[in-house]
Amino acid sequence: MGRYAVKRLIQGVITVWFIATATFFAMHAVPGDPLSGDKALTEKIRANLEAKYGLDQPLMTQYAIYLGNIAQGDFGISFTQENREVNDIIREHFPVSATLGILAIVFAGLGGVLWGALTAIYRNRLPDTIIMFLVILGISVPSFVIAALGQLSLVNINEWTGVSILPVGGWGTVWHMIVPSMVLGLGTMAYLTRLMRSSMLEIINSDFVRTAKSKGVPPTQIFTRHQLRNAILPVITVLGPSIATITTGGFVVEIIFAIPGLGRYFVQAVQQLDYTVIMGTTVFYGAFLVFMVILVDLIYGLIDPRVRLE
Amino acid sequence: MAEPILSVNDLAVEFDTYGGTVQAVRGVSFDVQPGETLAIVGESGCGKSVTVQSIMGLTPMPPGRITSGNALLNGVDILGRKTINGEDIRGDKIGMIFQDPMTSLNPTMNIGSQIAETLIVHRGYSKKQAFARAVELLDMSKIPEAEKRAKQYPFEFSGGMLQRAMIAMAIACEPEILIADEPTTALDVTIQAQILDLLNDLQRENGMSIILITHDLGVVARMAQEVLVMYAGQVVERGSVDDIFYRPGHPYNLGLHAAMPTNDPEAESRLTPIDGSPPDLFHPPAGCGYCARCPYSMQVCIDTPPPTYTLSEGHEAACWLHHESNTQVVPEIHHAGEAVND
Repeated sequence: MGRYAVKRLIQGVITVWFIATATFFAMHAVPGDPLSGDKALTEKIRANLEAKYGLDQPLMTQYAIYLGNIAQGDFGISFTQENREVNDIIREHFPVSATLGILAIVFAGLGGVLWGALTAIYRNRLPDTIIMFLVILGISVPSFVIAALGQLSLVNINEWTGVSILPVGGWGTVWHMIVPSMVLGLGTMAYLTRLMRSSMLEIINSDFVRTAKSKGVPPTQIFTRHQLRNAILPVITVLGPSIATITTGGFVVEIIFAIPGLGRYFVQAVQQLDYTVIMGTTVFYGAFLVFMVILVDLIYGLIDPRVRLE
Repeated sequence: MAEPILSVNDLAVEFDTYGGTVQAVRGVSFDVQPGETLAIVGESGCGKSVTVQSIMGLTPMPPGRITSGNALLNGVDILGRKTINGEDIRGDKIGMIFQDPMTSLNPTMNIGSQIAETLIVHRGYSKKQAFARAVELLDMSKIPEAEKRAKQYPFEFSGGMLQRAMIAMAIACEPEILIADEPTTALDVTIQAQILDLLNDLQRENGMSIILITHDLGVVARMAQEVLVMYAGQVVERGSVDDIFYRPGHPYNLGLHAAMPTNDPEAESRLTPIDGSPPDLFHPPAGCGYCARCPYSMQVCIDTPPPTYTLSEGHEAACWLHHESNTQVVPEIHHAGEAVND
C-alpha cells in the first residue's frame, strides 16, 4: 500500500508537470499578452514584470524560468492586480472553493448512494419512477440553470415567509453554504444515483445475497453488510473524476452566488490573459484533482479486498 | 420407519412472469428421515431447486407464490415462516449450500466473518467467540491452516475450498437438515469426491439429514438412501436407492438410466437420449407430464394424470403402466408384487 501510494504520487507529479507545460504553451499561443490589455500599465510595473519573468526573452527560456519558479512553490505576482502574489490569492480564496466543493461531493455521494439504493429496492414502483424522473432532469439541466433557479426560488421563499431563512448569496456562515453546495452537487448526485441503482440491482439478485438470506441474516444487516458495501464500489470509482466535474462547475456557481472562491479569479484571469494567475490556479487545481483521484483509489483499495495496492 | 424430520405435502409453487404464470412445482410430497440423505434428481427446470428454496423461504415473492401444501419440520409447518417456537429456521434449523461457491460468498467480507455471522445472528455469540468457532468449523471442514484462511477473502480461495467454507457456514449452528443444491456441479471430479466425502463424514458426526439436489446419478448412488425423481414439477418416482437403480418403476427413470454413460468397453458407444423436451409449464399438460416423450404412452396418459402406485414398501411411481387393467408389458419396468432379487 505504501509503495503503491508513492508510485501514484510520482505519477501524479508527472501529470501536474504535463498540465503546467500544456497550459504554458497554450497560453503563449493565444494572441496578445497581459501587458497589452486595455488597461495601460505603468512603465514601472511593466519593467518589473519583464525583468522578473523575462517576457522579452525566447519562449524556451521563459519556460525554464517558469518551471524553476513553480518547483519552488512560487507562482509569481499577478499581472493585473498590482503587488498581489498568486500564492496569496490561492491561500485566501481556495479554502472557500474547497469547502464548497467538498460539501457538494459529500452531498452528491451520500445522496447518490441513498437514492440509488432506494430506487433499486423500490424497482419499477412509484418511488423509483419519481426519483428516476428527477434524476434525468438533474443530469440534463446544466448547473448554471439550476443555480439561477435555486437562487430565484430562495428569493421567493424568503419574500413569502418574510424572514431570510437562507441567504441568497455571499459567504461566511454555514447557512451560506447549504444552497450553493446542493446546487453544485446536484448533477453529480443524479449521475451517481443512476450508477448506484444499476449496481444495486445487480447485487440484490446475486448469489451471495441469497446465501446471506439462507443463513437467516436479518434484512437490515443484509442491506448494510452484503448489499450496500458491494454496490458502492462502482460509485467510489467514479467519485474521483466527479471531483473534477464539481470543481469546474464551481466556477459558475461561485459567480452566481457571489462566493469569493478561486473560480472567479480563474475566469477573470483567463479574460485578462493574466499569465501568472492562470498558470498558478491551473497548476494548483490540477495538483489538487490529481491528489484527490489518488486518494479515492487508495480508499477503494481499503474497501475492496480484491484490489491489491502494490 | 421412524418419524420423518421433514415432511413436505402437496407443495405447489407458481411464478408470475411477463409471459404468464409458470407452474414450477405442481404438488410435490416427500419425507426426509433423520440422519439420512434424500436425493432429488431430475433435469434442469423440473422444479428441484424451487422446491427446496420454497421450503427455505428463498423464493422471491412476488413473483413467486406458494399455492398449496405444507412443509412440516418436526410436525410444525414452516412454509412462509421464519421462526418456530422462537427459533430461527433459516441457517439454524436448516442450513443450505449452493451450486456455485465462487459467487455464493460475499467478496468484500473475509471467510471467517461470514461464517461467524450465522453464529452471531442465531446463537448470540460475541464477534470474537464467533470468529474462534468459525476457525474450528473451517478446521472441521478440512481446510488446512484454518486460522490463517479465516482471515482471507473469497477471491483467495479455490472453488473446492470455497465450497468447504460454504459447508462450514451451513453447519455452523448444527442444523437438523442440510440442503445441498447441486453442491458439486461447478467443481471438477476429484474435488467433487472430496466434498461428497466431507458431507458424508459430517453427517456421520452430526447425525443431520441431507437433502441433496443433483443431476448426477453417480452422486446419488454414492450419497443417498432415498431418491426422489422429479419431472415437470412433479414427483414421478420415489424409492430407496436400490429401487431407483435396479427396479425402476417409471419410464422416465428408465430413460435416465439408458442415457447414462457406462464403463463397459463392450457396450455400444452411443448413449440413448430421451427424445423431445420437457413440457411447457406455462400450460402444463392435462395428463402425465412425460407422455409426449414416453415410448409407452397410451391414450389415458394424455387425458388423465396418473395416480401414484405403491410398488413395494417405500417405492412409489406415478405411471399408468402400473394400473391393473394395463396389458402393455414393458420388461424393464418393475411392477408391484414382483419378486425382489438383489
